[in-house]
Amino acid sequence: MNAPQLPQGLGAARYIGQRVLRKEDPRLLTGRGQFVDDISLPGMLHCAFARSPIARGNIVSIDTSAAKDMPGVHAVYTQADLAHFNAQMLSFFLLPPEVEITPLAGSRVCYVGEPLALVVADSRALAEDAASLIEVEYEELDPVVTLADARAGPPIHPGTSDNVSAEMGDEELDDDLAATLNGAAHLVMHKVVHQRISQAPMECRGVVATRDGNEELTLWITCQSPHMIARWVSLSLGLPQTAIRVIAKDVGGSFGLKNHPWKEEVSVILAALLFGRPLKWIEDRYEALTTSNQCREAEMTLQAAFDAEGHLLASHGDYACNNGANPQGPDNNIAVHMFLWAAYKMPAYAFLTRGYYTNTMGLAAYRGPWALESLIRETLLDKAARKIGIDPVEIRRRNLVTLKDQPSVSSMGIPREDITPAECMEKLLQHFDLAAFRKEQVAARAEGRYLGFGLATYVEPTGSAGSMPVMTGELAQIRIEPTGKVTATMSTHSQGHGTATTMAQIIADRLGVAYEDVTVFEGDSARGGFSPGAAGSRQGVIGGGAAISAADLLAAKVKTIAAHLLNASAETITINGGMVHVAGAPEMSRKLGEIAAIAYGEPDRLPPGCESGLEVQHRYQPPPMTFTSAAHACVVEVDAETGFVKILRWISSEDCGTVINPAVVEGQISGGLAQAIGMVLLEEMPFDARGNPLAATFKDYLLPAISDIPEFEFVHANTPSQALGGMRGVGEGGAIIGPPTLVNAIADALSPFGELPDTLALPLTPTKLLSVIEGRDLTAHSAPAPVVVSADVPASEPAPAAAAPAGEVRVEGAWDMVLKTPMGPQGMVVTFAIVGSAVSGRFDSPEGTQEFSGGTLEEGRVRFDLKVEKPMKITLKYDLQFDGDSVSGKCKMGMFGSAKVSGTRKV
Amino acid sequence: MKPAPFDYVAPTSVEEACKVLAEAGGGATVLAGGQTLMPLLNLRMSQPFVLVDINKIPELSGISRSENGIRIGAATRQCDALSNALLAAELPVLVEALRHVGHHQTRNRGTVGGSITLGEPAAEQPACAVALGASIEIASVRGRRSVAATEFYVGPFMTVLEPDELVTGITFPHWPSGHITLFRELAQRPGDFALVGMVGALALEGGSITRAGLGWFGMGGTPIRARAAEAALLGQALDSVNADAIAELALSECAPFDDHHASAEYRRTVGRRLFAKALREALTVREAA
Repeated sequence: MNAPQLPQGLGAARYIGQRVLRKEDPRLLTGRGQFVDDISLPGMLHCAFARSPIARGNIVSIDTSAAKDMPGVHAVYTQADLAHFNAQMLSFFLLPPEVEITPLAGSRVCYVGEPLALVVADSRALAEDAASLIEVEYEELDPVVTLADARAGPPIHPGTSDNVSAEMGDEELDDDLAATLNGAAHLVMHKVVHQRISQAPMECRGVVATRDGNEELTLWITCQSPHMIARWVSLSLGLPQTAIRVIAKDVGGSFGLKNHPWKEEVSVILAALLFGRPLKWIEDRYEALTTSNQCREAEMTLQAAFDAEGHLLASHGDYACNNGANPQGPDNNIAVHMFLWAAYKMPAYAFLTRGYYTNTMGLAAYRGPWALESLIRETLLDKAARKIGIDPVEIRRRNLVTLKDQPSVSSMGIPREDITPAECMEKLLQHFDLAAFRKEQVAARAEGRYLGFGLATYVEPTGSAGSMPVMTGELAQIRIEPTGKVTATMSTHSQGHGTATTMAQIIADRLGVAYEDVTVFEGDSARGGFSPGAAGSRQGVIGGGAAISAADLLAAKVKTIAAHLLNASAETITINGGMVHVAGAPEMSRKLGEIAAIAYGEPDRLPPGCESGLEVQHRYQPPPMTFTSAAHACVVEVDAETGFVKILRWISSEDCGTVINPAVVEGQISGGLAQAIGMVLLEEMPFDARGNPLAATFKDYLLPAISDIPEFEFVHANTPSQALGGMRGVGEGGAIIGPPTLVNAIADALSPFGELPDTLALPLTPTKLLSVIEGRDLTAHSAPAPVVVSADVPASEPAPAAAAPAGEVRVEGAWDMVLKTPMGPQGMVVTFAIVGSAVSGRFDSPEGTQEFSGGTLEEGRVRFDLKVEKPMKITLKYDLQFDGDSVSGKCKMGMFGSAKVSGTRKV
Repeated sequence: MKPAPFDYVAPTSVEEACKVLAEAGGGATVLAGGQTLMPLLNLRMSQPFVLVDINKIPELSGISRSENGIRIGAATRQCDALSNALLAAELPVLVEALRHVGHHQTRNRGTVGGSITLGEPAAEQPACAVALGASIEIASVRGRRSVAATEFYVGPFMTVLEPDELVTGITFPHWPSGHITLFRELAQRPGDFALVGMVGALALEGGSITRAGLGWFGMGGTPIRARAAEAALLGQALDSVNADAIAELALSECAPFDDHHASAEYRRTVGRRLFAKALREALTVREAA
């Protein structure tokens, strides 16, 4: 049965659009939430880790005897004990890593804090005591810490030729693009260096794992989707997914960190399988800051060419991010380039993008992982506006895609159908009198007060579904009980998102029942169906659509049954306030519960062929992608004597489509903006030259406090999306658009003193801003000696396999190959058939099988084209060089540039 | 983040506490409000054999007038000092400084003596003690002694306190009624330790300065007394003070360092400015009065 189609938007509704009180809050505000550390099982023991104090080295020996002998200690495990599980440390896209990543360090350590032994003891304190007794002898190597180290230094992982973890795009600039850039009236160069950030959720990581039977596991884990965890663990350990139950009722924030388990959680799960008693590990704040995966550290150089009037002509971006040693999937952040100019009339763009391995904590996602695109674009535009001599509003008016310019496709192939950043900006400017502000700014400057106005616009892809295997639709299962109560089991999951509230609002409206009578269950993989959970601003869009579809199907069934029972036509039936009414016959009104009682208990009274019960489920498949747009503005005052920034106003004008609950939407935006303010002014996870993290407590890692956050003003500029219900998603936006808005305001405030430095390096500390104000460099730290990475220190690579005799290249047959795609390395088996110099063959991968022909072979070099349909239509041009039993080369993927291919002969 | 094992004792008298400290032979740590110590224990950066809890020693709490000035018992809670009428009347600058110490919640447990004894160079209370000429009372089984705050601090988190000694109180000298107070602090967030801070008091007689106590925090390895600046102010009439020159003199005694929150040069630049501004404003307010 197809879900009934709604008109765009939801129109008048009783609950949708209202600030109803959140269903989660009474238990959370009274300390009755259920987080992982609230779980205590009979016989449960506690875990602590021994961790590496060095960033790079080989493990010579581990002596756990003293720890094992300690009273109260039950077991000490090292990788030697866990290796036989062969646990795969998969990425979010469920792909295996391309370098060796094990739950506990095996023969080498590659970052400070890497876990290398797990102690099981009666208490956490005892476990920590014992962990401190584990003696490890290392052969220490010089670490590779920064991006510069990674480019120049030896490869940190055995079996790799360099530290590039992922790469796309082309090193050489296309001649036409170079000519446009260099011949333009204005060429603006801009570089951003983004510091490393800790996601710092209020609830640190944690897991309680218990083996129930031989291959059955129950996990309580703080995560972004219990279903995703169950699938990840199933694939990682090779257990059936149904043998794993994952429970996460309440989660204290995640922001991308808890997409899936990582080394510590996996170690605890394996230890629980080995030991047989329930085990608990609760990450403490010291571990969270130093050994939870981190995010954001990246550098980007962007060039943009403008004509004399400030119209964009062409652009080139060069991006690099620090993946750390064991990233949750190697990443070159291709999304930065996909969305960089998606909302602008940009005729031509090309890029080079790379991720690098270093001996630091591995990379994970963080609210708007590609956010650097908005930061660098919007700050470049302001810089360009000052250079060209036009207003920041004007440069955007001249270049933004408006509704009139749509449908159209961006130069990177992004379809634009209903994005509204220009419209959001105009609405913002109706609310904020910029001309009046400029007058105030001039007057203030005369008094030595430096006010600044910052503006930024952006679009954000949300509600992704269907183009990547884990990004699925969402499932709603709803039933009406004979009690008149409605229960819904949703595939959504809240880490503070309030989905139990927003989904209930939708269901109450669509079913015509009171909000108080709807209860939403989520947070348990044993209930409902798969969803990746909170990832990519998707739950409102897709979960909302699922709630609408399922509720409408259920309402239709109620009407069918009621019409039959009451001898009326279904069109005359309405459901309102938990009552079923017949138009024009008030005496025939029945309680919804009465209809339900009949539906379940008296099937004979139902219409012929009608299934008993009032239960419906629907998985909603939205359009592949939805877009949220916004314009934000803020006003700051910079103290010219201290370089301190005070935020005076902040206005959000966002189009997140249908607003289910304004308080939830504003809460999401506010939270993202708080993180944005932290990234611009306060937060930084620095490392010393030996790879030691330097912010190990909240004394040194400065999160913004409530006193650092202004009251945000909201101008909702919403237009319905094409998804059912018209929602657009709002989870990540604040963290994406916030940084450029604030940086632009600071740059505007300081414009009497000059431009911000050519390289915008976050955070903008008082020292850096005072340097701009005073026109001299106050930042000159008595810097520690630069790390000496000796290029002649050989990485401990395995001995190369015996090479085949030269000149005798045998291509025919099957090869195991890995293609470094934007979503991580993708494994496949390629089988070649050679006739003379003609090459044909077949690709086999988990995604399916594809044949090709028309290739050529010349002196061990094989070239051929492969046309693929998924995730989009594209021609992949392979260029491979075979050498003995190994093969390497490139695959050119249209506008995505080139990706590396490597492989070996299948044995 | 659980402490390494330790023994716990909660003596009820100074004598008893001193005895425990002496017997521990350097292996004991004193627990007062615990706002710094508890995190350090949990991080295992502090691993004492014995924790000596002084919260049950009555004579360590309270604020009273003494013959030498005002005595604050070492275990007096910061929140109690903050709302103390005697301090408000006689040492208003200390009360002003206390408002910047941590947060409501930490001040409810944190003690004046704890902060003074810890010797965090960017903390407010040690700088108050140094600037205002306080002396630190110390007890041990070897007897009692008193050390001038200026002699107490020897480096970041380092003092002259011996392992068997207990700080029992801090005595601030009497400052004449109507003295001028100065306090300025720059911190990235309210409640943080200072990037730059200064505190001071000036006593007047017949329109000229007869006594000056000035100090810095966050400007070196210890709280710093600005003696040259104090000397230069003595005997000056309020309207003849060159605030910039005094600030320059005060700065000459600092040796701030770099950390990832601010550079030394930032601290010098802003410190000079902050000091001069505080002095100028204090003098202007007084002249106008």
